[in-house]
Parts: sequence; structure tokens; C-alpha cells
Amino acid sequence: MTTQTAAKPHDFDTYWHDVLAELARFPTAPEVQELPLRSTDFATAYGVRLTSLGPYRLYGYLSIPTGDGPFPARYHLPRYGSVTDLVPQGQANGQRREHVTFAICVRGQRLADQPYAAAFPGQLTDGIDDPATYVYRGIVADCVRGLQYLAARPEVDANRIAAIGNDLALTTAALGPQVTHLVSTPTLLYATSELAPRTSAYPLEEINDYLRLHPTRRDAVHNTLSHFDLRWFGSRVSATTLLMAGADGSALDAAALQPLIDDIRGETTVHKAEHSGYRDGRYAEEWLSQRFGMAEPSLPPHWQD
Amino acid sequence: MPRVPADQYVSQVRKPEDIDRYWDDVLAETAQIPLDPEVVYDPLRSTAHIDVYEVFYTSLDHVRIAGWYAVPRQREGRLPGLLQVPGYNMEPPVPKNWAARGYAAFSAAPRGKLRSNRQFNPGYPGLLTYGMVDRNTYSYRGFYMDACRAVDFLLGRDEVNGDRIGVTGHSQGGGLTISTAALRPEIKAAAAGAPYLCGYMDSIELTDAYPYQEIADYLRMYPDSRQQVEDTLAYFDGINLAHRITCPIIISVGLQDSTCPPETGFATFNAIASDDKKIYAYDGHGHDANNHEHAAVVDAFMAAHLKE
Repeated sequence: MTTQTAAKPHDFDTYWHDVLAELARFPTAPEVQELPLRSTDFATAYGVRLTSLGPYRLYGYLSIPTGDGPFPARYHLPRYGSVTDLVPQGQANGQRREHVTFAICVRGQRLADQPYAAAFPGQLTDGIDDPATYVYRGIVADCVRGLQYLAARPEVDANRIAAIGNDLALTTAALGPQVTHLVSTPTLLYATSELAPRTSAYPLEEINDYLRLHPTRRDAVHNTLSHFDLRWFGSRVSATTLLMAGADGSALDAAALQPLIDDIRGETTVHKAEHSGYRDGRYAEEWLSQRFGMAEPSLPPHWQD
Repeated sequence: MPRVPADQYVSQVRKPEDIDRYWDDVLAETAQIPLDPEVVYDPLRSTAHIDVYEVFYTSLDHVRIAGWYAVPRQREGRLPGLLQVPGYNMEPPVPKNWAARGYAAFSAAPRGKLRSNRQFNPGYPGLLTYGMVDRNTYSYRGFYMDACRAVDFLLGRDEVNGDRIGVTGHSQGGGLTISTAALRPEIKAAAAGAPYLCGYMDSIELTDAYPYQEIADYLRMYPDSRQQVEDTLAYFDGINLAHRITCPIIISVGLQDSTCPPETGFATFNAIASDDKKIYAYDGHGHDANNHEHAAVVDAFMAAHLKE
């Protein structure tokens, strides 16, 4: 399956240049509070509040290893939903021994839901009639703001900053030159206008729901989504990249992602999903630990041999 | 030291002698509260073939609970009912996929989930340890009842065949499948994927991953509360509720699951009273528990028990 029917918007670069310029006008203004409940003998956890586009106040979970740094950093970008975890569910909490970790709650998510509390389903189409009002304009900027904060921490090794997540990890790596390594699983923002009509599964079904109720807005919606299409971000990514593709034959398999793969400027590895959180997760952990020069990957007990 | 094979693991969970009385009292207290269902058609989520409704009802402590209800537009006679229960940090899905297969499908959002969090909102992380030092204040006392009350909603619908109601879910949804099947005899078929809320105290020894890590965090900060925590969680542990399950049930586990250790899935399965039970253990799989292929097993299981 190839998805090359859409074209890059003529104002794509200007749009994102303007977003970043607007973001730069807002000071980060971090407030950092230790979280004793989530701290251990090997890492201290903090809750961080910081300002993004709007201005809008965000929240993030920061963890810093005990001992002398600098440490490699894992920047966990949120999945689609209301919850961001300190460490993504199922991953080894032990990753906090050797890595600074930072997980950002973007606007609309819990802990960043004042004044905007997103609905799920609902957020994917919030303001979707116009690129200037689409909620993802702010969300993508939120992720960049979190990266800027993380990269400025003195405990972080600037040569080893990984953005890890789904679509937002890739947009962050594209817009944030501080990202040196990228682990991304394209999910919602790749060829969305073309792929949504081919499924009835949420979250993409939100697009179908919206257009069923508002059919006259189709062109506007497609125009908005094209400004967030991962295909047009690829040429901006210079990080060493692991792209997690769907299994062969799936909507986002390696063949479908080929235009993006071709455009990414950094060294790129493509992993085809094996429909196993264990096998896919372990592959990503081993890939990252090798690129970071770590002695061992951070694996939870049941993933270890 | 190598780990004991998951199917040979011996749980450390101890069952309280009065567990059945405890839950019978909670169920009776809940039953005293009028359900007061509100059903609101949702044109945005409905399609040419499926009607979708937002539903609200009242549960224990008079907490108002939300849910999605999806039914096929074209139907003959009463439909089997299917209750879908959500994972820990996910939003309850709109169950159009089950409605498309001929079920009156209800997807519950127990307290603390979005749309059910006005009166109770401990957050994530937070829900797992909220009120954990007392069985009468623990978050899951109401949370379990919220799922049970969804059964009452289905039983009250004219289009639902009350003799054919099933429950299914994955992760926390798997745990709620266990508790709901145990506490509501109206459940006629249950399919639990990678069940959470089973072997709570075992799990903090078996894995360092969240969400169970929330309990380890709590005990590190409040070590003197350990006995109270163990005493409370024993009443909520799926292993200790499994003796009440008499309906047909299937469980799936991934043998490399670091979120809900497979050892606890086996311990739960072994404790289930029903003679009609089967466990699917998937080697090479983590918390997904091979859902990619197992979904078809669940479909066939529900159809066999609720449609034929």
C-alpha cells in the first residue's frame, strides 16, 4: 500500500516556523517540585510545571538518577488519551537508574487540563476546521517546549537525548534539533485523510464521525490534517531513528511509510511490528541501549532471558 | 535465580474468611441506590447502522457514572448484551465494533475515568492506592460496583435479553471481568485478557513496572501500613473472588507480560470455580497477550455462549 496522493501544503514550512516563533515568545517559567512518593534510592522524581503556547501551563514528570551525570535522557511523548505515566506502562522502572526521564502531559491531558480538559474521543477533531485553531497546533508546540526544558537540564547529556513515542515523537524530533535519537511509531498523523475512511476503529473513527456529521467541511479538514502529516516532517529529522512500522499488509506497514523513511535525514532503522508488545518493545530497548552505548538494555523482569 | 514457570507459581495471597459477606454487603448497599439511568442519543458517534448513546447512572456512594451504549439499528428480537470494561489508563471505547456484530454493547467508565470524575478523581497514578489502608475506603470498592451496575443498566433495557449478558476487557478490563463475573450471577460468559487486579501483592514482587509499582511506591513511603494494605487488597484480589465465578470463562495471558505478570493470571484461573474455563497462554507475548489473534477467540466464545 502506498499513500502518496496528498501533497505538502504550500505554507507548511511557514506555518511551523510561525508556531515555533510564537512559542519562543513565551518564557518556559518552570516550577519544579520533588515527588517523594515516586522517588527511590536510585532516582529522584519531580513534578514540573512549565509554559507553552497560549500561554498554557503544562505538567511533566521528571526523574533524575542518583549520582553524577550527565546522563542520557529519554523524553517520553504522550499517546492519545488523558493519562501520561511517569514511566510508560509496562516498561522497566529501572530505566530511571541510568537515564534522566521526562514525560510530558500536553494540553487537555490530566494534570494539564486547566482550563482545557480534552475529551476522548473528541480531541482528535477539536478545532480541526482550520490549521490555526486545530488543537494539535498547541500539542505539537507543547512537546517542543518540553524538549527545550529537558535539554537545558544540567544533568542531561546533550549527545544522548531520545524522543520516544508515537507521532508526537517524530514531530518533536523534526522541530527540535536537540533530539539525537528517535523511536517513533506512526499512528494517527500519517496520511490521516487517506487512512481514516478505511477503518471504523477509534481514534481515527473520530475523523469519520466528524465528516459524517459535517460533510461540507471535508476539504477544510483535509487541509488542516495535511499540516500535521508526518510525511512532510521527515526531511526535518536528523536524529538517528528507529521507525516502528506496522506488520506487512497493515495500513502503516513499511511500504506505506516508505515516503517518510526516504525523507528522514538521520540514519534510519525500520522495525516491522510482530504484533507482540514484548518482541517489539524489547527490540526498541535493545536498539536504544546500543545507540546510547549502554552495557545492558533496561528490561522489565519478564522481558529478560 | 531463574523464575519459576508462570503456571507453577504459588500465589502468596490469603483469602479473608469473611470475603463473601463483605461483598454481599457491598452489593446490597449498592442495590439500595436507584440506578436512575439517563440515555442521550449521540448523533456524532452514530452511523447509518449503529445508534450510539451517552449513558449516565448512579452507583455506590451516589457517584454518577458514564458509559457508551451502542446498538445495531436493524435487529430482530432481543439482543445479547455485552459489557466492555476499560483498562487502567485508557479511555473507555465507544463499542461500535461489538454492536456491529449484533450485541447491545455497553462500555463503562467507572469512577475517576473521564466523564465519571466529577465526584471522585484520584488520577493516574493514584487510583490504585487511593484509600488502600481500609477495605471500606479503597477506590476499587466503588469501582467494582460501577462495573456491576452496568449490568443493571443492560438488564433494564427492553432490547436486551437479560439471560444472555457477557463481559469482557483487557488488563484492568480483564480484572473487572473477573470481579464482575464473580459478583453478578447474571453474567453468562466472561473473557478476561491479561487480567490486572489479580495478585496485587504478588505483582509488586514479580515486576517493577507501573501501574503495580504504585503500590511499591506507597509501601516505600509508608512501610508501617503494609499489613493494612495487604488486608485491604485481599478483599479485592481477583484470585480471592474467583471461587464465585460459575459461568463459562476464558482468560488470556502473555508469558512475557511485565505489566500484569502471567503468574497471577494462572493463579486466578486455578481459583475459578467454573468447570467451563480455559486459559490461553501465549509465549512470545507481553501485555498484548496476543490480542491480535486472540480477539477472534473472544468473538467466537461470546457468540457460542450468547447467541446460539
